[in-house]
Amino acid sequence: MENKVNSVCGSCSQYNIKGLKKLGVNISNFDFVVAIAGNPNTGKSTVFNALTGLRQHTGNWPGKTVVRAEGAFEYDGQKFKLVDLPGTYSLLSTSQDEEVARNFILFGKPDVTVIVVDASRLERNLNLVLQILEITNKAVLCLNLMDEANRNNIKIEIRTLARDLGIPVVPTSARFKEGIPELIQTINDVATGKIICKSYRIKNVNGNIDKAIKKLSDEIEKEIPTISNSRWIAFRLLEGDNRIINALRTGELV
Amino acid sequence: MNTYNPVNALIIFVSISVLIYLIFRPAKGWFWLIKNSFIFNEKTAIEDILKQLYHFENSGKDANISSLTGVLKFKDSLVIEVVKLMTISKLIYFEGDVLKLTKSGRDYSLRIVRVHRLWEKYLAEKTGIDKLEWHDRAEFMEHKLSLEETNSLASQLGNPVYDPHGDPIPTNSGKIAKVKGVALSSLAVNSIGKITHIEDEPDIIYKQIIAENIHIGSQIRVVENNTKRIVFYSEGEEFKLAPIVAANLTVAILDPTVLDKEITLRLSSLQENETAKIVGISKESRGESRRRLLDLGFVKGTQISIDLMSPLRNPTAYLVKGTSIALRKDQASKILIKKD
Amino acid sequence: MSQKSIEKIIALSSDLRWQIGDDFHDNLAEGIYADASEIAKNSVISNNKKKRFRLDTKIDKIVTSKTWGFPIMFLILGVILWITIEGANYPSSMLANLLLNNFHPILKTLAASIGMPWWLDGFLIDGVYLAVAWVIAVMLPPMAIFFPLFTLLEDFGYLPRVAFNLDYLFKKSGAHGKQALTMSMGFGCNAAGVVATRIIDSPRERLIAIITNNFSLCNGRWPTQILIATIFIGAVVPASFSGIASLSAVIGIAILGIFFTFFVSWALSKTVLKGEVSTFNLELPPYRPPRFWKTVYTSLIDRTIIVLWRAIFFAAPAGAVIWLISNIYIGDLSIASWTINSLDGFGFLLGLNGVILLAYIVAIPANEIVIPTILMLTVMATGIAGGEGVGVMFELDSASETATILKAGGWTLLTAVNLMLFSLLHNPCSTTIYTIYKETKSVKWTVVASLLPVIMGFVITFLIAQIWRIVV
Repeated sequence: MENKVNSVCGSCSQYNIKGLKKLGVNISNFDFVVAIAGNPNTGKSTVFNALTGLRQHTGNWPGKTVVRAEGAFEYDGQKFKLVDLPGTYSLLSTSQDEEVARNFILFGKPDVTVIVVDASRLERNLNLVLQILEITNKAVLCLNLMDEANRNNIKIEIRTLARDLGIPVVPTSARFKEGIPELIQTINDVATGKIICKSYRIKNVNGNIDKAIKKLSDEIEKEIPTISNSRWIAFRLLEGDNRIINALRTGELV
Repeated sequence: MNTYNPVNALIIFVSISVLIYLIFRPAKGWFWLIKNSFIFNEKTAIEDILKQLYHFENSGKDANISSLTGVLKFKDSLVIEVVKLMTISKLIYFEGDVLKLTKSGRDYSLRIVRVHRLWEKYLAEKTGIDKLEWHDRAEFMEHKLSLEETNSLASQLGNPVYDPHGDPIPTNSGKIAKVKGVALSSLAVNSIGKITHIEDEPDIIYKQIIAENIHIGSQIRVVENNTKRIVFYSEGEEFKLAPIVAANLTVAILDPTVLDKEITLRLSSLQENETAKIVGISKESRGESRRRLLDLGFVKGTQISIDLMSPLRNPTAYLVKGTSIALRKDQASKILIKKD
Repeated sequence: MSQKSIEKIIALSSDLRWQIGDDFHDNLAEGIYADASEIAKNSVISNNKKKRFRLDTKIDKIVTSKTWGFPIMFLILGVILWITIEGANYPSSMLANLLLNNFHPILKTLAASIGMPWWLDGFLIDGVYLAVAWVIAVMLPPMAIFFPLFTLLEDFGYLPRVAFNLDYLFKKSGAHGKQALTMSMGFGCNAAGVVATRIIDSPRERLIAIITNNFSLCNGRWPTQILIATIFIGAVVPASFSGIASLSAVIGIAILGIFFTFFVSWALSKTVLKGEVSTFNLELPPYRPPRFWKTVYTSLIDRTIIVLWRAIFFAAPAGAVIWLISNIYIGDLSIASWTINSLDGFGFLLGLNGVILLAYIVAIPANEIVIPTILMLTVMATGIAGGEGVGVMFELDSASETATILKAGGWTLLTAVNLMLFSLLHNPCSTTIYTIYKETKSVKWTVVASLLPVIMGFVITFLIAQIWRIVV
């Protein structure tokens, strides 16, 4: 399996980055876990397929990937396991898809979370991005569908965006395999700690609520000093998320 | 085979069908009647009496035996017997003719009210049950849930302060928020207010309010008030109600001088080629639907316009934050906008 | 970290939540979007504000217009169905010829030459192999044509517009516009239709779509409908009209299926499913030119092959069972004959017969083998000449020979009409049942979805049989 996929891809020039092996579903003894999250219909599965060499079906239609799909690739001698999470608009609601995505990012503690967004609908997609960044700062923004954005005269200042979010931003057109080598390189750099991301915290929270969140997250930090996402935990506690309450009780968050 | 005759076969089939219908038809089926008759026991009666006394006390009216039997569905003899039991167990006491709640009686009644309102909130937020059924289902469940179950339900719902009708939900420790406002029927012409509560009893009036598409939380302006009818504007639409119906709506009066003059409208009234800004989502949109709308970017301040009308004019696709999203008319009527 | 202080945090959160009030979620969502729009403002430069892309808008104006919306939609779906049915004919008969007429005798000879005992040869080659071969021949070609075409439309982005156009009609019956697509998918294969309900993100409407998908006449049932209509309905009218009459009968059954879809959707949403959460939103994504070969490839892998594989997996044991019940004797009669005799009475009440009921029981795994099984069982039960031997399913090249056998089995016009109805209204095939279970993860809804149509089938065929007998 390994050799076959490798030799097939050896012929395509864009794959010829040094030390890349697409491992398909061949997952064992991986060194890093990479989660792929994003809104529906942003080409998330296409990115997943481009990274793993798999051919999962992707439709122009929200809601294809309901079950969690997994794949892998090897880069620079390190094995990366990829988990394709269901496409969601948000992580704050109660639908099953959102629960799967939310719980994986929080409890699965992926080494890197790749957030795939539609470059021509950045504002809408940032809703999910900012929520994920409250949970983890080990993330890469994959600015996908750049071809569509260019066609519609939408320009994005990559560096400004990266600075504002505190995470690396990689423009791609996964359908045409553009930007994938850079994406892999960046995933590797974040996973191995070559790139250190900053934490982003949502600013526009209404005064009263902000105070409550501050109070609660201070308490949480006092109890669990190692925690990096106490604010997110506070959000969820205020929403009455039973999964989080249980996790606190069982010590799963330490 | 000898006895077979198509007519007989049909007759047998029809009679079996009728029998099944009689036994299992909703609400009045024999099966349900028998099942329910087991439920009406002493505990139910005690709790219902406590709840009624609490309501009497809250509205500042005095309650005696005859006013109790008037509002309860139990036999008069049963009510008298249960009241006697309750005085013995010190849940209530008599002041002359008037029935009063003791401290423990009031605490107990608050617990029942808490379960009732929490359950309505639960039905509104977490299920698809129609709002006309909320009350009856809560009436049933208020006798069923234990204290522990109630508390875990409350935390699951995020400890809500108000139930979907706008009634405050008592906390576990008995704290209860205040409802501000007066009956709509008592408002003077030209006064401005916000609907804070919609009474769900009696059923007939509640149905009328729902049919009028009146939304809780919406701002209103009274333009006519006489013994025949009350006319008011809200969210760009005109509503006419009989005084008896209007009496079941509670309105918090707002100071007209501090309000901004722009008119809030329903998204459903937006025309093609118009643009607008979203002001908010009506309280009438609840649970998963509301969350989904927020997630999709229907938030305060967002620019919105009509992108496409479907051939049958419903749903309509709106352009929000660069994406075309189709909503049905009843959803659009619960999103509030200001036209540009 | 002590348990006590954790409980304190939880209690604090409850208290704070009560103080903040009910607008917490709204405020949070608004806050996040406010941040998002600040960031977007900093980094996005757009020369093309507000309006969507112009080409998209133009296409949308046409495909959702009052005048053209519906005709375009029916035309496209009609063309797809026509290509599927017409296009599948040739490869289907080729496959049937290859697998049934050529390969089967070769296998038999081979088995004989290595001295395989008759029962093993019968069990494996006449039972298992034949059932699998039949399923492949009937099922593979239409699915290999239908699914790629449908997937191309999906990848292009047209299907959400269909849901948009039809939502109003589906809303009336308590369903979601996207059910139009899962229903259409059901015309190809119910199991695939059930999987496709994932696109419906509202729990209540998704369950409705799953439970009613069986009312879409799947391609395993089209051949049965066409054959029976040709033999019996076509014969009622003058020869020159027989083609049209039988075609209308088949289309009538399919439309009746759509009617049942709406009716049952409505009934479910008002009764057992009224407590499920119901939401609606439909994103109309931008059009994207599909990448033809990739789409064809993934649709073959993801839809066709998986469904086919499951069907084979279920058909193989069915073939074995058919052979076994015909060849194992209890006293003088085979198990099949026993069952037929005991089902005859009930079958008669429904205007059907024991053979048909038995065929539907053993053919639960795959509707494709219903007709071959009926023919085999009829020959066996009546003892007339013909067929391939006990327990060996077969089909005949000419409709008139088939008619002879069926009429010898006591079939009338009533039997034919009720068989067509029962073919529409019976339990889903086991592939679909299994898929429903996998998708809903609920025994309850799987049971409802399986039993509801078959009960409806019993009631309707029963009523028609009685009225028919009174009137005629």
